[in-house]
Amino acid sequence: METIALSAYVLIWPLIALGVLVVITVAFFKEWARSRREGRDII
Amino acid sequence: MDGLESAQFSMPWIIGLLVLFYGGTFWISLKIRKRKENADSYMTGGHNVGFGISAGSMTATWIWASSMYAAATSGYTYGISGPIHYGLWGALMILFIYPFGKRIRAVAPRAHTLAEVMFARHGRSSQLLLAGSNVVGSLISLMSNFIAGGVLISLLSPFNFTQGVLTVAAGVLLYTLWSGFRTSVLTDFIQVVAMLGAVAVIVPAIFFAAGFPAAFESGAANLTPEQGNFFSSEAFLNQGAPYIAAVLAYAIGNQTIAQRLFAVKSTLIRPTFVTATIGYGSMVIGVGMLGVLALYLGVEPVGGDVNNLIPQMAAQYLPIGLLALFFIMIIGALSSTADSDLAALSSIVMTDVYGQNVAGKAKAKPTTMLLIGRLTMVVATALAVIFASFQLNILDLLVFVGALWGALVFPVIASFYWKKVTNKAFTVSVVVALAVFIPVRFGVIPMVGPVGIVVDILSVIGIGVVLGLMAFGFFGLRPALVIGGVAAVASAPFVIGFLHQYATLSGSLVAYAVSAVVCWAMSVRSSHQFDFGEIARRTGDYATEHDDDTDPQAASAAAASRSRDLDPTP
Repeated sequence: METIALSAYVLIWPLIALGVLVVITVAFFKEWARSRREGRDII
Repeated sequence: MDGLESAQFSMPWIIGLLVLFYGGTFWISLKIRKRKENADSYMTGGHNVGFGISAGSMTATWIWASSMYAAATSGYTYGISGPIHYGLWGALMILFIYPFGKRIRAVAPRAHTLAEVMFARHGRSSQLLLAGSNVVGSLISLMSNFIAGGVLISLLSPFNFTQGVLTVAAGVLLYTLWSGFRTSVLTDFIQVVAMLGAVAVIVPAIFFAAGFPAAFESGAANLTPEQGNFFSSEAFLNQGAPYIAAVLAYAIGNQTIAQRLFAVKSTLIRPTFVTATIGYGSMVIGVGMLGVLALYLGVEPVGGDVNNLIPQMAAQYLPIGLLALFFIMIIGALSSTADSDLAALSSIVMTDVYGQNVAGKAKAKPTTMLLIGRLTMVVATALAVIFASFQLNILDLLVFVGALWGALVFPVIASFYWKKVTNKAFTVSVVVALAVFIPVRFGVIPMVGPVGIVVDILSVIGIGVVLGLMAFGFFGLRPALVIGGVAAVASAPFVIGFLHQYATLSGSLVAYAVSAVVCWAMSVRSSHQFDFGEIARRTGDYATEHDDDTDPQAASAAAASRSRDLDPTP
């Protein structure tokens, strides 16, 4: 039981990192597409 | 066998990786380069940066190579709670400063630096205290990131330390120089994507390659009872608590964070800060877990240097492809912070030195500002490379800057909410707090008898100030006073007669307490009633849509026109 809990404790962080990666990447490409449509620089 | 010798990249591999990383970031800087770069965009990206880039950039800037190494060291030293006591508090600080960020942006929507805002709020001495602390802090940060790069390259390749430092310094300067902050945030985004991806892959890869989860049982004997306790008081007192106090100061005082605050679209401040909180926490705690795994495995750091733990674990358990990904992750972490430091330093010199103290805001020429900004980056890089060769004690320098920022936290925050705070109260409170901090932190006066008790009483007040400030941002004055007061009273029995033995924590808390008490005492009877609307009127863009690099006269005319708006005389 303790082994399972410790494994989850160690491996949850890479999983959350993956989630954040998806969120900011999707946001970036939406902003990039919008800036292209509007004919301006993304930054 | 530590794995490092056998896992070195060959010369073609290391050159290929460095060219891939710095060549890629340089290519990005070329893609966004403008023939006529704008001074305000060079400093803040036009105050209109979107969520994806802002959140990525905020996360990347908050993470430097030392964050990764220190989180793993904390896991190795303090056991299973160690990475939490490094990464979680660092992450929460991003969240805690978000309400202050909203307030700062509301009163100074088009500022470039926090010091510039302090000039508008108070005057020159307050501005120079903030600007000076940031110049010192960013130079130290730049130097330590170059050192981290030099050490990593020398560990994993045939290059030596000096060659590594020069490669990293040249690479970062190359892509940051032309477009400044705009390049910094865009490459931050790419770098944070690489870092998040690397953490998502590398931590599970090492976990399974090293024989976990079975190693949790076979290696349990390697942990002391305190290291195996998730609620370890030793971990909290030695790592967590000093870090809470230090990072609140870093988050408020550091221009690299303030610069991103002034850059993000104002409606996106909350999602940006929340995402950066989660991104920072997951990445740093995830890497910190490598230290915990090393502890279970009974790994001894090479040469007794705990900074070698992460490269050692990576070298021992990762195949060459993932080791390359690991290398990019660390180079990305240190480069993203180094380019932010360069952008912050250039903004401070452009705005706080040239814009407001040499030329004056009305006469500042955007073209000259850009030239000064770029020269600042070159000089700062050269200085950081020179300092890197001196092998200074980075931790002591960082603690000093942390305390300087700790002394600034209450006066800075109070200056954005309380009309009574004056320039004199701000300056005197910071200077007195520093004067008390130095003997406490560096043991100039023996902490025995009544001296120790006085330090403990100040620490109790410091605890109240830190928790009160955190609560104030979210809940307002009354709850903050209650939470700060309860925290101080509740902690007093445990702190008085005891905490002065922990010099790092006592020093930070004393800096908070003294600056808060002096600033409050000097302001409470003041008749000063500052109009916060003045800050927006006194800060703003240097260039306009019509300002143009080839037409300094037009820029001067625009600046003169703006100065008429600021002139208090009819």
